[in-house]
Amino acid sequence: MDVTEILKSLTGRFPEAISEAIVESEIRARAYVDKDGVKEVCQYLKDSLQFDHLCVVCGVDYIKRNEIEVVYHIASYNHPVVLMLKAILPRENPEIESIVSVYWNSNWYERETYELYGIVFKNHPNLKPLILPEDMLGEWPLRKDYKGFPNKTARNLV
Amino acid sequence: MGEVKEQKTSTSDETSVEEVPGVITTTASAISDFLKKTKAQDLINWGRKNSMWFMTQPMGCCGVEMIAMGCAHYDTDRFGIIPRNSPRQADVMLISGYVTKKYLPALKRLWEQMPSPKWVIAIGDCSISGGPFYESYSTVQNIDEIFPIDVFVPGCPPRPEAMLQGFVELQEKIKAKKDLGTEY
Repeated sequence: MDVTEILKSLTGRFPEAISEAIVESEIRARAYVDKDGVKEVCQYLKDSLQFDHLCVVCGVDYIKRNEIEVVYHIASYNHPVVLMLKAILPRENPEIESIVSVYWNSNWYERETYELYGIVFKNHPNLKPLILPEDMLGEWPLRKDYKGFPNKTARNLV
Repeated sequence: MGEVKEQKTSTSDETSVEEVPGVITTTASAISDFLKKTKAQDLINWGRKNSMWFMTQPMGCCGVEMIAMGCAHYDTDRFGIIPRNSPRQADVMLISGYVTKKYLPALKRLWEQMPSPKWVIAIGDCSISGGPFYESYSTVQNIDEIFPIDVFVPGCPPRPEAMLQGFVELQEKIKAKKDLGTEY
């Protein structure tokens, strides 16, 4: 199964949830996914298209567009295609369905995306900060309007 | 509540310094304060400086150098410096990396578990000024305001020889009674 067939199958199955599906090369493809349909799309990818390896979940803050994107990189052990899925969320109240029930390893990725960007993953089994201390919750350090960076409190810099 | 507590402590103080005719009462801290003014403190410090056991608590890449320093090749044992696994047996704490906001409470707890007299050595640029992470949102800056650091060993990471030199400098400070671990 090559990359064009994969995208054709995906857009044919989800004509409304998948948009702007683009083939970048023989091994890379990307698509925008609707934020309500991300779990169904991932389930279809895993069950029917052999995308059984979730590489990473991360976030991007587009402050000028007033949007936050969640980016999923999903790959396969059976064919060489890496698919990048993006979901656009509003910046005020970013909420998206968790995909832990599909890909178990997204658990910690989603926790880290939550603590750094404030994206709430609904129905996540244990949505609490992964690395940051609890009292930094709510500061969302990787958002572009974060005030605490750069930190100028170091006194004895050369 | 606070007032009652204060009263209790004040009464116990009165009983402890109550004068018995013909008997001189004293306390352990009074003996210690007296010894600090005599030559006996030199002997005590000689013992302390030759048995500085450090806590094996690596916090970053400098921790690897710290472990290398404690091993046979650099042989800190010849100075009486031995790595210990428990804070309760250690005399020296090495801050060997950046201190994150999440790790600071654990580090403070380790420091409180160490019995006095105890000393701190800051190793590496990260613990001294933040290193490459000096403007990060999650590291604690100005560690020397939190712990009484005697010796700073710069480097990224410093060589094990440099760390040994830091220990030797601390020994010199203890010998000269200028360390921050004891109040002279």
